[in-house]
Amino acid sequence: MPEPKLDLLQGTLDLMVLQTLAAMGALHGYGIARRIEQVSGEEILLNQGTIYASLVRLQERGWISAQWGTSDNNRKAKFYSITKKGRKQLAADAVYWERLSSVMSRVLALEEGGRK
Amino acid sequence: MIAWLQQFVHRLRSSFANAHVDRELEAEMAAHIELAIEENLKRGMPAEEARRSAMIRFGGLEQAKQHHREARGLPRFGAVVESVLQDVRFGLRTLRKKPTFTVVAVLTLALGVGANTAIFSIVNAVLLRSLPYRNPDRLVRIFFNNPGIGMRDVLFSVPELEDLRDRAGVFDDVSTIGGGSVNLTGASHPERLEFVVSHPNYFSMLGATPQIGRLFGPQDFALGFAPAAVISDGLWRRSYGADPDVLGRTLHLDNDPYTIVGVLPPEFRHPGPTVSGNVEVFLTAGFSADPVPTPSRGTRFMPAALGRLKPGITLGQAQARLTAMANQLRHDFPTDYPAQSKWTIEIKPLQETLVGNVRPMLLVLQGAVILIVFIVSLNIANLLLARASGREQEMAVRLALGATRGRMIRQMLTESVLLSVIGGLAGVMTAVGTMGFILRFVPSNIPRLSEVRIDWVVLAFALLISILTGLVFGLAPALHSAKVALSSAIREGGRGSGYSTKTGRLRDVLIVSELAFAVMLMVGAGLLLRTLHDLLQENPGFNPSHVIAANVWLPIPNDPKADPYLGNPPKIIFNRELLRRMRAIPGVDLAALTSDLPTTNLSVNDAQAIDALAIEDHPVESSQDLRAERIRISPDYFKVMQAPLLRGRSFTEGDEEGKQPVAIIDETTARRYWADRDPLGHRLRFGQDPKQPWMTVVGIIRDIKSDGLDIDGIPHIYVSMYQSTDRGLSVVLRTALPATVLEPQIRHEIQSIDSGLPVFNVSSMNDVLDASVAPRRFSADLVSGFAGLALLLASIGIYGLLAYMVGQRSREIGLRMALGARRDDVLKLFLQKGAVLATVGIVAGVVLSASTASMMASVLYEVRPHDPSVFLVVPLLLLAVALLASYFPARRAARINPIVALREG
Repeated sequence: MPEPKLDLLQGTLDLMVLQTLAAMGALHGYGIARRIEQVSGEEILLNQGTIYASLVRLQERGWISAQWGTSDNNRKAKFYSITKKGRKQLAADAVYWERLSSVMSRVLALEEGGRK
Repeated sequence: MIAWLQQFVHRLRSSFANAHVDRELEAEMAAHIELAIEENLKRGMPAEEARRSAMIRFGGLEQAKQHHREARGLPRFGAVVESVLQDVRFGLRTLRKKPTFTVVAVLTLALGVGANTAIFSIVNAVLLRSLPYRNPDRLVRIFFNNPGIGMRDVLFSVPELEDLRDRAGVFDDVSTIGGGSVNLTGASHPERLEFVVSHPNYFSMLGATPQIGRLFGPQDFALGFAPAAVISDGLWRRSYGADPDVLGRTLHLDNDPYTIVGVLPPEFRHPGPTVSGNVEVFLTAGFSADPVPTPSRGTRFMPAALGRLKPGITLGQAQARLTAMANQLRHDFPTDYPAQSKWTIEIKPLQETLVGNVRPMLLVLQGAVILIVFIVSLNIANLLLARASGREQEMAVRLALGATRGRMIRQMLTESVLLSVIGGLAGVMTAVGTMGFILRFVPSNIPRLSEVRIDWVVLAFALLISILTGLVFGLAPALHSAKVALSSAIREGGRGSGYSTKTGRLRDVLIVSELAFAVMLMVGAGLLLRTLHDLLQENPGFNPSHVIAANVWLPIPNDPKADPYLGNPPKIIFNRELLRRMRAIPGVDLAALTSDLPTTNLSVNDAQAIDALAIEDHPVESSQDLRAERIRISPDYFKVMQAPLLRGRSFTEGDEEGKQPVAIIDETTARRYWADRDPLGHRLRFGQDPKQPWMTVVGIIRDIKSDGLDIDGIPHIYVSMYQSTDRGLSVVLRTALPATVLEPQIRHEIQSIDSGLPVFNVSSMNDVLDASVAPRRFSADLVSGFAGLALLLASIGIYGLLAYMVGQRSREIGLRMALGARRDDVLKLFLQKGAVLATVGIVAGVVLSASTASMMASVLYEVRPHDPSVFLVVPLLLLAVALLASYFPARRAARINPIVALREG
């Protein structure tokens, strides 16, 4: 029996989308979803449809912008790219996540008796 | 902040462009699926598998759309709007599902709110809105009083007015207001209309502007009457066809010519007491030369004055200075101000003097309609509560499914407010639609009626009333249903069992309050109806049946040369000719003349109408206190009126000029001035002029209600019209013919004598009496209508409550019957419930009425606010109706078939 896939923690999808766009430049929704799946090594349970809620949310906050364009195989698609504000936000959120995950790993590393 | 704003704008836009955004999303998702399929195909999947896998990976198109909408939808505010809209939609659905309830509720609400809107629009126009003049709060009516001898609002002299203007230092402007009615000739046909004569500053003091032409100014100053006239918009349209060239035309008022210099705008009204209807001609005078006497401090002939207070002076300060000035004047001119009269000056806000006397009546009406709307909302609360009990199961299920209690209260309140707003709209529309109709019944002597309209203030009031009623009747059921205990309600509802005690008690309270309010309204109506009934039963001192009255005025020109009726002889000739012609009309049995037709003597105030009197054998120093109203009559007057002569004789044709002057006194005069002595043969005279001849008392007549059915105790002295003439005449005819038949003949005969005489107000004496109580009839009828409505609503309430109880308890009743209860017992059970509720409500209502009825004292006449018959009849009537309303559901309960009830329950 394969290991069950990871559920996404609240708010993490937005961060992933921002990071993906920062790293890859303009991408359409499908491209973002595929990229995240590939990076996660297929470990994440991602309904690709949920990406669109995240995209509209980020757009409303002004962190990404969207534009209709044509894909590599000549298909009309909406392309998203990160804005300057989005990059700032990404930097802040990344710091937050690093801190949170290092705290988490330290907490989880606690051994019985309280010693490391 | 800016980011937040951007986001808000974006969301707002997206919520407006929802359809567009949805379409774009669909295109985007379609592209997504296509891209996925292509990639799958490239990886070598078969076509069918490629599509399936793409769809699975996407994870539900609808779900994605929903997430998208949630993410972009308006948060907070938007969610609230959304959920309110949802509540409204749900509420409308619920209301549609119960059409009978909705129709009853909306109709009763429409009645309640409509009545409130209509009455409030009158209250607002008459009492609340400030007068339509410049700085109306600085305008005052000036009164001269003799409190020492109990006289208010007495006449004043030119020097007294000049003191106000030049010496008092509190007024910017002061103007005398005189006037009355005059014969208009020189327009389309002779007409009787009202005029005002004032100082030239009258219009500038009020801040009026002309529609065309000009108003009075300093150029119109004249010692006597100026030859200029300003006319009302109404007269301009009626008699001159709204001709813009009316300026410069001549009209004749009591034979004197005036040139029209201006026309007032339609909204202008003279801010003072008028005889009837509106003032249509405005004249100006200096009051210091013909036709008025030479000014002197003691020559008092001016009836009223208006003033504009200087800015910055309060009413109290002005009053204090005027009182001080009056004291000084009394000191300086002791002969003009006899010490015992304590002459003084009083000012009152103009608005107060205009509307003060109708305030009690209007407030009673407003109170009545507010009670009605209370009763309406209690009634609806009861119906809603019944429904809420029926919906307990629904509510319990919703609670169990996770709805919060707050959310449910909101849902219920939304339904109620929705109902009340629909009812309120219907009410306002009813009021708007029927306002013209209602105003026709409002007695025309209520001032400012022309200003009544449904404006924003009235609409705001109507909205407030509707929403308040919605909250009132919605809150009880809402709170109740939110308190539903989950388990018991689901269980109880499932079994369809009894009348739960908690709701039961609330409903009882509602019914009892409804009945109590109904009692209050009915008591109010009862008191007003008794007053009206007593007034109409009141013996007016004569028999009004088969009497027709018509009015004629002989002109009083300022120019004696234009006066065909100068001195007594021409008037007496006219009177005799008029009576001869009247008697000759077929169907007329008797004809007579009087100077004062009973109950139409609308003299502005009593003090001015009552003449000073001297009685021969009374000590001179008390002559100040002797007063009586002088009424001139022709010999047959008492015969036409069928007024019983108590002693002595009536006037004859021989009681004419040059013969022994005679007088007939009424009982009040006899009682007041002769007490237990016999007045016959004693002598009296009017005025203090010792050169006037004494008149001998030749008869005593029963009191005639000359000044109105509700006015007593004014002494009257009748004198022969052939010895003392008058220009204001009422013709009275004893005839079986109706007024409408006789009117053309009366007019023809009178205008055959003098074609310039208008003949007006031709009507039966019964109609004259009726018109004199019109305001009382209006309020009595209106409040009675409201009381009837309250009674109906209360009986619907009781009926509804018991019918509901019977329905809820049918199983229990069936059980009781199966166990041996007789039908009579069941009947009694419910009748008793109705009787107990009614009794408690009635007792509460009687207590409330007893404690508030005294507020009505000022609109009652000879009926005490705690009139025992009213307080006896109302409870009995309401009890009877309540029992009747309980009887029908009780009978239904008694007819329950126990087998059916038990099986179906």
